[in-house]
Amino acid sequence: MADETILLGAVAYDPKVVAIWEGIRDYFNESGAPFDFVLFSNYERQVTALLAGHVDIAWNTPLAHVRVQHHTQGQSLSLGMRDSDQDFHSRLIVRSDSGIKGPGDLAGKTLAVGSRDSTQARILPLHFLKQAGADLDATKLLIFDTDVGKHGDTGTSELDVLEALRKGDAQAGTIGDLIWVLEQTAGHIDTSLIQSVWTSPGFDHCMFDALPDLDAGKIDRFRKALFAMTWENPQHRRLLELEGLKEWKPPREQGYDSLRAAVADQGYPL
Amino acid sequence: MSSESTAAVAIDAGELPMGGGLLALVRPALQLLEPGGVLAVNSLRDGLQDDISVWCKVQQHEYLGHDDATGAEGSTTTRHLIRRGPLSIARGQRETDMRLEPRDGRLTAEEVLSAVPMPDAADPTSGFAPRGAQVEPGGPRYPFDLLNRDHVAPPEVARLYDQAVESQWDANRDIAWDQLPEHHPDLERALDQVFTFLAENELSALYVPSRFVSRIHPAYAEVAMFLSTQMADEARHIDVFLKRARAGGGGLGVSSATTSQSLLTLLELTDFTEAAFLLSVLGEGTFLDLLRFIEDHAPDEVTADIVQRARNDETRHVHFGLVHVRHALAHDKGLYQRLENAVRRRAATMAGAGGVPDALQDGLTILAAGSTSPKAVSQGHDAFRGLLDEMHHNRIKRLEHAGFTSDQAQTLSELHTPNFM
Repeated sequence: MADETILLGAVAYDPKVVAIWEGIRDYFNESGAPFDFVLFSNYERQVTALLAGHVDIAWNTPLAHVRVQHHTQGQSLSLGMRDSDQDFHSRLIVRSDSGIKGPGDLAGKTLAVGSRDSTQARILPLHFLKQAGADLDATKLLIFDTDVGKHGDTGTSELDVLEALRKGDAQAGTIGDLIWVLEQTAGHIDTSLIQSVWTSPGFDHCMFDALPDLDAGKIDRFRKALFAMTWENPQHRRLLELEGLKEWKPPREQGYDSLRAAVADQGYPL
Repeated sequence: MSSESTAAVAIDAGELPMGGGLLALVRPALQLLEPGGVLAVNSLRDGLQDDISVWCKVQQHEYLGHDDATGAEGSTTTRHLIRRGPLSIARGQRETDMRLEPRDGRLTAEEVLSAVPMPDAADPTSGFAPRGAQVEPGGPRYPFDLLNRDHVAPPEVARLYDQAVESQWDANRDIAWDQLPEHHPDLERALDQVFTFLAENELSALYVPSRFVSRIHPAYAEVAMFLSTQMADEARHIDVFLKRARAGGGGLGVSSATTSQSLLTLLELTDFTEAAFLLSVLGEGTFLDLLRFIEDHAPDEVTADIVQRARNDETRHVHFGLVHVRHALAHDKGLYQRLENAVRRRAATMAGAGGVPDALQDGLTILAAGSTSPKAVSQGHDAFRGLLDEMHHNRIKRLEHAGFTSDQAQTLSELHTPNFM
């Protein structure tokens, strides 16, 4: 008899990842969906393992999601995402004394950007800024390639971008809007010194990916248990808070169109 | 924006940015709305919609959009509309128009209790939320298991707490230690034995309530607060009794196996009402007579003062035990039998342990005699026997006061431990 256990891959970008997936494993097992997980140190290894069939489902960043779709010729299965994964934006943030009012003012300035595999702090903002008329060839990039392999999950390179603006090492920077708003609500931003002058079009973030031939029973059990989690249940709430969402959502694909275009345009290796 | 988006509440946010204090206005305003209610945020800040919409998403509110109006001076005010989301709605009604009225310049715990009564039953998922606070759902379940008012909180508890706080004294400063006279070594040794026994028993009276404090639901916080004063009292008694035993040129006496066995049976109790009954009504109640006896026979005023102060505190503890048991008996028909069973179990454990511990008996006899002359000792022995009769007699009165019948009181008193506590 085939093993009915759903084996999920996740990337260990933070110690809390262990608590999240151990909690979700216990909850899934109690809900009649046998479940276990393996942790990877980077998304490239996780995508390779999914494509090789070593795990059933991968909890992927948008870049990893686009890679999986690329390698399965668009046949991979998307199983669900967080409410907080929908309608992400990138921001162009500037020092108030820089005179930069929008993408058109970047020529001759220093622009701090996040890791080369960060969707929200590098790949998409550069893509959208170019579309919005920024002359990036005339802009000096200050690059923070921190935590490469984590696809921006740690937020470290975005905090580096903010710090570069505070210190005056750059006049402008690109970060995701979630970090921008959370850092503001935490009281970490001096809004007289740093402000946002431009918001990118929306895009979507993480996704549960599976290969097209994944057992239908596993898919069904996974979805049922996942979407049964509610904020009002204390056991669920603890896990949802850790994972940064209030509600799991069904998948949608149009939120990744811009990323597919960006990696093609930038020649990013998939 | 749709026509249904008429705001119920509007706030003026000036030029405040998201990271510059805006939320301190927005969040409390949203708290006043029911889920689905709409808040208007009037802002002079450009581009606020990009930040406020992300914040709404994170908080599961709905950002309905914005429109602009040009003011008289040509400034543009943007009106942002937020529909309150369904999450994190606190349970219960917010306290409003709460204004505690001082009496003679005082605000007592009794006043608070009458303004914010205790619930019949408490919800363990409200955690340490103070009684009267609104509670967000989704909090963890706490391990409180004393959740029923009638088994935990007699109505007199707040008044007793007020009295306890007002009656605190200081064993360093308030005792005239420099006036303690020298006694004959035999008499001092007898006193030291008695104070050793008192301190040992008060240690148990400190530890036993502590086991229940963490089990009491905070809806009945006054009970935990009262017990904390009781524990502070016991700590002071331990301190003052040990100081007295060591301040007269002698030192500590003997701890008997009977006392040790008796106090272990108190420490092992797991039922709050049984513990209040055995410790406070029967044990500390009997101690009142013991302390009165020591006070009456004290050979000096300093010793008498110490014991009198302790007795005043113990009277309060006994009172709490009595009202606790009386309140619980009135609401629980099966309680009498459970309490009798608890006394019988304890008596069975103590069977064969002998009578009043020898060293204590001798100490009390010599104390009452005032010397070791045979004639005086004979009188001291009579006084000790009189004490035992007095204890039995007063236990019965207290038990009747707690709500037991005369027969029940007689039975329970006779079963009480020979260790007194």
